[in-house]
Amino acid sequence: MLRLCHVSLRQDEMPQSIRSTSAARAAVFAPLAGGGRAELVTQRLTDAIELGLLTHGEKLPSEAEMARQFGVATVTAREALEALREKGLVETKRGRDGGSFVLSEGARAAGITRRVTRLSRVELRDMGVYYSAIAAMAAELAADRATPDDVSHLHATIDAVDVSVETSARRGEGTFRLEVAALSQSARLVREELRLQSEFAPMLWLCLREPEQRERSRQAHRDVVSAIEAFDGDLARRLTTAHIASAIEWLLDAKAELENRGDTA
Amino acid sequence: MTTTLTPAVSECIDAVTSTFSSVFGQIDVWRGSIHDLADSEHGILSVDAVDELVEHLVLADLSTPSSLVIGAGFVATPGYLRDSHWHLAWWLGKANTFGVGSDTPSVRRLEAEEDGDSENFRDYTALEWWRVPAVSGVPHITGPYVDYLCTDEYTLTLTAPVEHDGSMIGVVGADLYVDDIERTLLPRVRAIGRATILNASRRVVVSTDPHRPTGSIMRPTEGETVLPCGDTSLVLVLD
Repeated sequence: MLRLCHVSLRQDEMPQSIRSTSAARAAVFAPLAGGGRAELVTQRLTDAIELGLLTHGEKLPSEAEMARQFGVATVTAREALEALREKGLVETKRGRDGGSFVLSEGARAAGITRRVTRLSRVELRDMGVYYSAIAAMAAELAADRATPDDVSHLHATIDAVDVSVETSARRGEGTFRLEVAALSQSARLVREELRLQSEFAPMLWLCLREPEQRERSRQAHRDVVSAIEAFDGDLARRLTTAHIASAIEWLLDAKAELENRGDTA
Repeated sequence: MTTTLTPAVSECIDAVTSTFSSVFGQIDVWRGSIHDLADSEHGILSVDAVDELVEHLVLADLSTPSSLVIGAGFVATPGYLRDSHWHLAWWLGKANTFGVGSDTPSVRRLEAEEDGDSENFRDYTALEWWRVPAVSGVPHITGPYVDYLCTDEYTLTLTAPVEHDGSMIGVVGADLYVDDIERTLLPRVRAIGRATILNASRRVVVSTDPHRPTGSIMRPTEGETVLPCGDTSLVLVLD
């Protein structure tokens, strides 16, 4: 069955306020090709790197090959690679063994630290608030919509994480939240969860550098699953909000320490 | 207790049954063809042979504008194919908007991670659409669920095991969008009044009751009437 077209903005249907403002009108009808496409490609690759689907040292396809696979122009693929370099996710080497390679977590970690020092406290807190709105609502809905089978799957997801290894804990954090989001049965919440993970996760869960925090995170996941199992959406939501708030508080402490060190250096 | 079914109820049950049975019927044809190929190759299949056959099988259905199928294919039992441990021969239909941005989608191959050593490779044998038919040996409906691995959409996945020489060599299946199913079946449910179609886990597939969102679990209520829709595993609930 052909899907209905989601957006059909026709000039005669535009609200008066938009029609009269030429700048807003121009923005509405700005070309989608180029910028929009490159962002989609960047987003997809960022997701893959943050989620660990593309791993350290992995060579990305060439610009031409990438353009073919994504079905975009070569210049668009080039733009996307440029954005990934700026985000500190890949580095491009010239020469015979050249190409774009996914950077190690270590190299990315240095980039994350720089980002944490640059962002204001207000911005970091706001990031936590927005992420909470998505993740906590997903947990609340999951409690209403999960079957016993889904609950055992969540337990298995937690058990699969080796908290003694930071990368495992980090990936586990993402997987667990994605699974919970999926249980909300909302495709939009899942897509937003994925988007926010790729934007914030490395910073938000910086606390997972510490073994003690990894244990706490695991316990927090177990508590959320218990709430989901008990159909207690209210508790699942509050536990999720509290867990994210504690991650933000840890992050603000870490930021203060980084700044103090910076001042004395 | 016997219930006399009103014409509206019977027609709704028939519509649900025929909608899903026709997809399962198609899946069964594909299953037979893959089984026959395994037979003719003495049970040893290569990735290329499987891909060529599956593409040929599913292409027609995926190109038909009226088809509800938005993705279809064959997923091999790990270790069965001689030249790849893991393998998904899966195609996405014209109506499937996954990963195409603002382009008009065309029928295309799903690019899946098949390298088991890749750190975040996903073992598909743990997923419901594989696990359940592998254990039960019979066709299964997974979902409604958000398929974040493949379509990013709210999906129903219908799968059936493919057996050869007494062992399972893979599953064959099809994806449907939940909103297409709603559009197809809602008029029939509405003709009854307040009614709900549930999957085998009592998850709502379609309901006219605004208090029963799609995807929520309907807890059993006293006085409800549960009517099976053929052998689809779906039920129509009147309460």
